[in-house]
Amino acid sequence: MSPAAPMHADPGLQPERTVLSWGRTMMLFALVGAVFLRWLPHYGFWTVGLTLSCAVVAGAIYLTQRRRYSRQSRGIAAERVEADVPAVLVTTLAVVVLGILGLLAVLA
Amino acid sequence: MSQDPLSEDPPRGRLSSRLLAHGQEPDPRFTLANERTFLAWIRTALAFLAGGVAVEAFAADVFADPYRTVVSVLTISVGLLISVGAAMRWLNVERSMRLGHPLPMPLIIPLLSFASGVAMAVVIVLVVLD
Repeated sequence: MSPAAPMHADPGLQPERTVLSWGRTMMLFALVGAVFLRWLPHYGFWTVGLTLSCAVVAGAIYLTQRRRYSRQSRGIAAERVEADVPAVLVTTLAVVVLGILGLLAVLA
Repeated sequence: MSQDPLSEDPPRGRLSSRLLAHGQEPDPRFTLANERTFLAWIRTALAFLAGGVAVEAFAADVFADPYRTVVSVLTISVGLLISVGAAMRWLNVERSMRLGHPLPMPLIIPLLSFASGVAMAVVIVLVVLD
């Protein structure tokens, strides 16, 4: 069987690097969720919600990686990639909400 | 005769049509590089968030209570500011590239330097005083 044709011919491997960057971000969301678990004895059971939110964001990134890679590869091949505004806004919103809930927990 | 593929404007998402209304699509490599830079800033923000959460959770016997809360609140706040700054910078850079303008100055870099310096100074003072 012959190998599959590459989806793009970019020697800079832009889609690969961007998808890996999302993967690192996904792991950091998982890490933050794990650190939030340490609050469980101090602040009560609701902190599990913070961990679960981090898991949801990390899972969402994981599940969209394949689609992201094919969209960016096709975009590089066509010389046109639409800026991913929703992904940027949702990721920022997730960090802001986690941070505000964390501040509320510490200050309460 | 077939149409020039570059002359037609494929439909864009609602958010990107609204927030990135003007100019032309930049080189896709630059768009992806901008996205990776945003993600690097978001990871920096997440590291500050994790640091603030960890100070509050792990350092109970290292720092006395009011100091620990102050350090934790400051660290989480820096994470918040950096995440908002990351999104704003991503949007400003994308707009500049679409219009062919020079890229804006990164205001979050002095913020990050200042915050890191303050955080280290506070920790040194607290450890020395302890």
